[in-house]
Amino acid sequence: MIKVNTREIVLDILFEINEKGAFSHQVLKQALQKYQYLDKRDRAFITIVTEGTMENLIQIDFIINQFSKVKTGKMKPLILNLLRMSVYQLKFLDGVPAAAVCNEAVKLAVKRGFSPLKGFVNGVLRAIARNMEQINYPDASEDLVKHLSIVYSIPEWIVEQWIYQYGAETASRMMKGTQDKDHRLCVRCNTSISSVDECIRLLKEEGVEAERHPYLEEALLLEGVDYLGKLEIFRKGYLMVQDVSSMFVAKVADPKEGDYCIDICAAPGGKSLHLADLLKNTGMVEARDISDYKAELVQSNIDRSGFTNIRAVVRDGFLEDKDSENKADIVIADLPCSGLGVIGKKSDIKYNMTIEKQKELVKVQRCLLENAVKMVKSGGTLLFSTCTTNQQENRENFEWLKNNYSLEPEDISEYFPKELGVQTGKKGYVQLLPGVHKMDGFFISKFKRISEE
Amino acid sequence: MALRNIRVMGDEILTKVCRPVKENTPKIQQLIDDMFDTMYDAYGVGLAAPQVGILKRIVVIDTDDNPMVLINPEIIETSGEQTGQEGCLSVPGKSGEVTRPNYVKVRALDRDFHEIIVEGEELLARAICHECEHLDGHLYVEKVNGELMDTPDSDYMEEE
Repeated sequence: MIKVNTREIVLDILFEINEKGAFSHQVLKQALQKYQYLDKRDRAFITIVTEGTMENLIQIDFIINQFSKVKTGKMKPLILNLLRMSVYQLKFLDGVPAAAVCNEAVKLAVKRGFSPLKGFVNGVLRAIARNMEQINYPDASEDLVKHLSIVYSIPEWIVEQWIYQYGAETASRMMKGTQDKDHRLCVRCNTSISSVDECIRLLKEEGVEAERHPYLEEALLLEGVDYLGKLEIFRKGYLMVQDVSSMFVAKVADPKEGDYCIDICAAPGGKSLHLADLLKNTGMVEARDISDYKAELVQSNIDRSGFTNIRAVVRDGFLEDKDSENKADIVIADLPCSGLGVIGKKSDIKYNMTIEKQKELVKVQRCLLENAVKMVKSGGTLLFSTCTTNQQENRENFEWLKNNYSLEPEDISEYFPKELGVQTGKKGYVQLLPGVHKMDGFFISKFKRISEE
Repeated sequence: MALRNIRVMGDEILTKVCRPVKENTPKIQQLIDDMFDTMYDAYGVGLAAPQVGILKRIVVIDTDDNPMVLINPEIIETSGEQTGQEGCLSVPGKSGEVTRPNYVKVRALDRDFHEIIVEGEELLARAICHECEHLDGHLYVEKVNGELMDTPDSDYMEEE
């Protein structure tokens, strides 16, 4: 008899991600699709070990380097990834015996053509298993950056940037926050279709426990959802999957009946659909994005909602759009960014982002903003948001908009619950941070366009 | 180490009922050694004698680094249920979902011909059932829920 080797599947996934630069959520999704015949436990194991290894990669590599003469940078990639997933199991998974982890790793090394290295794999892993509790991590008082980087598996440059931009205490909370796991799924109810209470009742009928989100009335946190597409209430368009932080965008935009809105980077369409919902069958939302693929993604969500006051359009936000100038009551510019506010959920970002890329992104953002401003009619609203923590992309772009265009910041404090303690809302912007606020990191700002003279 | 040829589905021998082993001979001992070598070489967790072309009631199993030989095995008790993936060295490249008892108790002779009672749960229970069925000429594909699936190509080597 042969048993499907879930560890080998994980090893192949990690190899794709770490050696071929694939996105972890995509590779994992493909693998789970390919192996959907595996039972639930095996699939859960694949997901947990893949995600866990990626989230804790820096700490895992540090541990390996404490016990291996050959450092992680010099190892054969397959062996490195095999050690990584094994150390993850040794350190973070209860209920997997250390001996089994070591034996399986040795077998896999042999199976993949590395028999000469089986003693090495065995030796390193058994030493780690024996000494796991005695590992000396860098001391916070000696080297705070290194300490935080290894404890929270966040690259040193991000640790430095957070300490520099937010201070050591807040930075520590943010890093801790990236590890907070709320396994519940955040969804938004389309309140023009049905009331939130009705959604809760319908969910209950389908066996899903829904709890109201403390920050926003239309947000629900769902427990016990295996596969959302199976739910009738989801297929009928009552719900959209969306993090609460991004729901603030449409709330803050605060559309009035009949408004014409343009969302310049709309995919997958959560914010645009939220606007359409708030417009209550009036006005129009033009949900734009750059590629056919993205526009189709938006369209499929529109189709599900059945809303008629929204359309998906393929349009490149970098190109000037003379026809749309001075046309929109509301322009939403939720821009491509360095994503440091969501690294707790998408661990690839923290390993792939760089300071250079951040600088490039600021240029990209200003180019998109320049076009976005022109589309706002006099007296209309510009909403600029990102999902990063980086102040160059957020605060500095906010100041740049204020200083270079006829834009007036609007007080947005009323849209945020008091318990969030955001004080800058009156000045026209809010920066939400992981670990400080109970949601993804997010920046949001609102301007009114004033006439030139 | 001697590897024997693994017979694959379609080979008549896999459908035959095997004969009980009557006495311990050097040939039997050699067969057992070869069966282990063959099983480990193919990354299996269990192998029955008919899979290497010998119609004798012998199986070898190693699901958790505990090599086990069962000669003339008889399942005397089962309970519970488990549903999961199974593959077979005689059905290369495929796997399928099979429902098995979650617990089995088996009486057999060990390789020194002493009577033993083995109890197994989960994977071990599954392997015992799977291998014992080989001795009566049955393959797991007869019991698969739904369809057989393709499994990943398991012997490609690391590209450097």
